[in-house]
Amino acid sequence: MREEIIVSGRMNPNIDPHLHIWHWQIPLYLFLGGLAAGLLFFVALLTIQGKEDKYPTATRWVTLFVPILLILGLFALFLDLKHKLFFWRLYTTVRLESPMGWGAWTLMIITPLSMIWAALNIRLIFPNWNWPWQWLWDFESFINKNKKILAWITIFYALILGLYTGILFSAFNARPLWNTSILGPLFLVSGLSTGAAVIILFSKNKEERHFFARIDLMLIGIELFLITHMFMGFLASTQVQIDAANLFLGGPFTAPFWVFVVSLGLVLPAILEFMEIRKFKIPAFLPAVLVLMGGLILRFIIANAGQMSRWLY
Amino acid sequence: MENQKNSSKKYLNPYLGGVLLGIVILAANFVSGRGVGASGAIKSAVVTTVNTIAPKHAENSIFYQEYNESHPKPMKSWLVFQMLGVLVGGFISGAISGRLKLKVEHSPKITSRRRLIFAVLGGILFGFGSQMGRGCTSGSALSGMSVISLGGFITMAAIFGTAFVLAYFFRKNWI
Repeated sequence: MREEIIVSGRMNPNIDPHLHIWHWQIPLYLFLGGLAAGLLFFVALLTIQGKEDKYPTATRWVTLFVPILLILGLFALFLDLKHKLFFWRLYTTVRLESPMGWGAWTLMIITPLSMIWAALNIRLIFPNWNWPWQWLWDFESFINKNKKILAWITIFYALILGLYTGILFSAFNARPLWNTSILGPLFLVSGLSTGAAVIILFSKNKEERHFFARIDLMLIGIELFLITHMFMGFLASTQVQIDAANLFLGGPFTAPFWVFVVSLGLVLPAILEFMEIRKFKIPAFLPAVLVLMGGLILRFIIANAGQMSRWLY
Repeated sequence: MENQKNSSKKYLNPYLGGVLLGIVILAANFVSGRGVGASGAIKSAVVTTVNTIAPKHAENSIFYQEYNESHPKPMKSWLVFQMLGVLVGGFISGAISGRLKLKVEHSPKITSRRRLIFAVLGGILFGFGSQMGRGCTSGSALSGMSVISLGGFITMAAIFGTAFVLAYFFRKNWI
């Protein structure tokens, strides 16, 4: 490995003028992490409310997918590392001031939690599942008795997982597009929305689909509000933020963002879900697929546009 | 139920539809500085596919070379986004009128397969024609006529004239 001594960030072509550090692995992980956070949030919330039998897909079937999503996301993160063999060092320290540290520890806690939820529902696919050791049977009955406590812990960590993906970007104040605290809630709401979309896709129960379509409609409304206010915030700030916002208002990201993320990924699913509430016949998978596509493209665009935004010198 | 009330008036009055289409062309000229189109969007998609899958062929062919020189980013064109809008608008219109159904519309006298085969053959011929005529019915004929372009009138006369003349030979597909 050839090493260079770099005295200032301006000598590094990967940093100045545009950042070329985070490639496809990061936005893909952000999407999967947000989706897992959304799914776990609904699982935990409906379990706390005792509505497990009313919404079986949302509380039981999706738990089987969440560990897979988290593992794929973690693998994407692992692929992004330069010194892959040293990934474990993230877990040798707790740094409260590091969003990446928060993220690593939250994932470390939420992945086993999601596996516990999946283990509770394993009999949906394998009805005669037998644990090989007695302590697993005891653990299962212990968790089943204290399911509500598990759900409260899960809701807490699911919210942190959804929020921290945005806060991770917003802590990066060298890139003006990312340096806004709206990114945290925006990514959380987007994650919840994609979670609702997946539930709609897999649900066989009409009442459940309608319930989550209404929830998704509300989440899309909140997301549009957050995006609007994000741009209002940028345009009311200093010149660097205005330049960052102009990437989306006439710059290179204008067409992809407003057409694919906002129009096709938010507004059109909202219109279709509203029509569905008004009893028009809409194929249920279409708004869900559009929301998922919009969420994925949103993360790719924010990651790439953020790396392009820069301070004036 | 609201669905039954809507399905009785599934299609708009064609005269009203024509006027609305004219207003759309005016709006398109105002918003984008050019008229509407359809075959241009398909051409962008085809060129992008060929550039990705067979770049050597694209370099050796005059058709692709000329297009690539003047259009470095074929998919970033107004027509492509307009075509997406057409898909969305058509879908919403179908959803409102209860017309959303995956089916092949054909005369009861022929099979779906025959209809699809003739559609593909007609589409191939239309593809050739639209490239030779630098536009299809919406781009060259409608938008061209709306700006009083002679080429637009000729294209319109040629498309519909040929259709009138040759319709007799394909009447069995419909009546």
